[in-house]
Amino acid sequence: MLASSGRPASASTPDQRLEVLPLYRPGDVDIDYERDLADPGSYPYTRGSRPARTKAGHESSDQIVRELSGEGRAEWSNEQFRYLLEHGATGLDVIGDAPTMASMDADHAFAAHAVGNQGVSLTRGIDYERLYAGIPLDRVSVSHSLPTAFGVAGFYGAAKRLGFDPGLLRGSMILAPLFSEDTCYSHNVPLELHMRLAVDTIIFSSERMPRFHPFVEDTYFISDGSIEAIEEMALGFIELREVVRRTVARGLAVDAFAPRIALLVNCRMNVFEEVAKIRASRRLYARMMREEFGAEDPRSLAINVAAHTSGASMTAEQLTNNIVRGASQTLTLTMAGVRAMEISAFDEAIRTPSRAAHIVGIRTQQVIQEETGVGDVADPLGGSYYVEALTDEFERRIEERVHFIEGLGDILELSTAGFFRSIFAEAMVDRAREVADGTRRVVGVNCHRLGPEEDSLLRDIVEQRIEPCYDLVQEVKEWRASRDMRAVVGSLDALTEAGRSPTANTTAAIVDAFEAGASMGECIGVLRQVYGAPYDPLDRAAERPR
Amino acid sequence: MTHGRVRALITVLGLDQHEAGALVVSRMLRDAGMEVIYTGRFALPATIGEVAVQEDVDVVGVSVHSWEFLYYAPDLVERLSSAEPPIPIVIGGSIVTEADRERAIAAGVTEVVRAGATEEQIVALFARLASPEFRQALPHNERSFSSSNPLDSPQIGRIRSGE
Repeated sequence: MLASSGRPASASTPDQRLEVLPLYRPGDVDIDYERDLADPGSYPYTRGSRPARTKAGHESSDQIVRELSGEGRAEWSNEQFRYLLEHGATGLDVIGDAPTMASMDADHAFAAHAVGNQGVSLTRGIDYERLYAGIPLDRVSVSHSLPTAFGVAGFYGAAKRLGFDPGLLRGSMILAPLFSEDTCYSHNVPLELHMRLAVDTIIFSSERMPRFHPFVEDTYFISDGSIEAIEEMALGFIELREVVRRTVARGLAVDAFAPRIALLVNCRMNVFEEVAKIRASRRLYARMMREEFGAEDPRSLAINVAAHTSGASMTAEQLTNNIVRGASQTLTLTMAGVRAMEISAFDEAIRTPSRAAHIVGIRTQQVIQEETGVGDVADPLGGSYYVEALTDEFERRIEERVHFIEGLGDILELSTAGFFRSIFAEAMVDRAREVADGTRRVVGVNCHRLGPEEDSLLRDIVEQRIEPCYDLVQEVKEWRASRDMRAVVGSLDALTEAGRSPTANTTAAIVDAFEAGASMGECIGVLRQVYGAPYDPLDRAAERPR
Repeated sequence: MTHGRVRALITVLGLDQHEAGALVVSRMLRDAGMEVIYTGRFALPATIGEVAVQEDVDVVGVSVHSWEFLYYAPDLVERLSSAEPPIPIVIGGSIVTEADRERAIAAGVTEVVRAGATEEQIVALFARLASPEFRQALPHNERSFSSSNPLDSPQIGRIRSGE
């Protein structure tokens, strides 16, 4: 069943094409309503994690509308946030620039031309304070795509300094300890340290920011442009299970943190596959948490699913087609009961979102919410022979794949041996081949093409460039030299001690280190050393303060 | 058609961690019979220049999904054109716009591959640029780069053709 011979069976993704019948009839699906579906808000939560509710008249939706944002210096991103909130966003979604996403300071030599032009630059505690200044953090939920421990420490510290009770903070942090190094977010950090930071962040947040979701299993970035929906969720569950096991092993009861676990999934173009994937994932999660991990609190069994629509489905050709794709994906996610989503912008294939693309993304969500009625009824596709059959198929195949991979051995050893890396790499090649040979139809790319002279709509927007923030690089260099070095060194020594102690919390120590003026790069550097890696594997960071 | 004698270096620049293009093009060239060396992520122009010379490659392909290439291109061109004979550079990626293409070519990049290029076109391009006649005709840069620091960036996940 492999797509091509010659790969080791264990390191390949099985063929994930779903055979679809031309018509589904009652005999094609076995529906036991109470066992497999139940009402939204009831086990096994297939139809939704929360009870259905009737909306009164013009009552606004409880949907979180947000768009991926973050650009340049923290102050510029703060302006971007204000713009989005003024235009109807009800949540924020922050992403760091390439150095930040690699746990690297703005003045690292490798960062030179990448500071601020693909996200916000966040080297220091003060950067987070500037990022959130004037934002009502007690009312706006903030989703973060940032290095886990630093994003949480920065958010927590900034909120406190800005006068907010951390107990009121809402939002989330993506967590991808197992797959970051193998995909596009390498921090050059050992896997054991990735896991440690993930678990410490969960423990820290469950104690100090109880309304915040510190554990968002992000299957978006591991899957976009490579693996298909079944493998996406199988790998996501493998990572999620490993983190749950390790958190429990640190002494936290499963019900103490499981209510704050969420999923952030991808949404590609196949409407019913994506709906079935989300419904199957809710059910699989509920059964797994109850039966395997012994969770009892209903909130531990009902998982919130958020989504980011596939950037890889957006094309550089015929940019206006991407707006249509975004609308279709928004409709899909709304029908799947997803209440927080970001739409990949129409310029996604070429640049980070422009202001015009942001507003189109928000308006797309608003049109679907306000005008189409698809969100008025919970799980509107429930009971469809086709959707239920597909949901069953997804659940079965995801579960089989999880058990198969876990049966191969220790997950971290598999990762170290390159098992997951080869899955992602092969899938990227397969996907490109399918587009090239036309087996995967993409309008404007391999069918229904336009010549360059006709394909001119929105081209002016994608030609706009964001220059790297060289002035910020200079500012960080000067800041580094101006600090109270005794406090910085003391905080890094304390972080080292926390890292060495299996029961101490490194995220709490990072909060203190940010407060004392240490940088993200310095913190990750000393932690790398605790875990047997060089302070800076790329050997181009500023020296460790002594 | 096979291109058994061609040696190509495929790389990703700076902090650009999107590898899909690099992996896909590596596979295409390998399937066409070329020998492909992939540097992995975290490569700066100095590393690329030195590895290209040490490995005696005929052509360098840079897969880009970040604007960093616009700033690194002149340095890369300077280093690879100091090889004897000069080593041509192909930059490729879906994010590359027409204006970017013009900037890269003005900086001395040999060819730019944008969204929509087919496998046949890409393979034929590498084969054409890798030919001794083409390389001999490229402008040569007299500046030499010493190997004081053999690896300006560590080679992470370096994958060699056939391994």
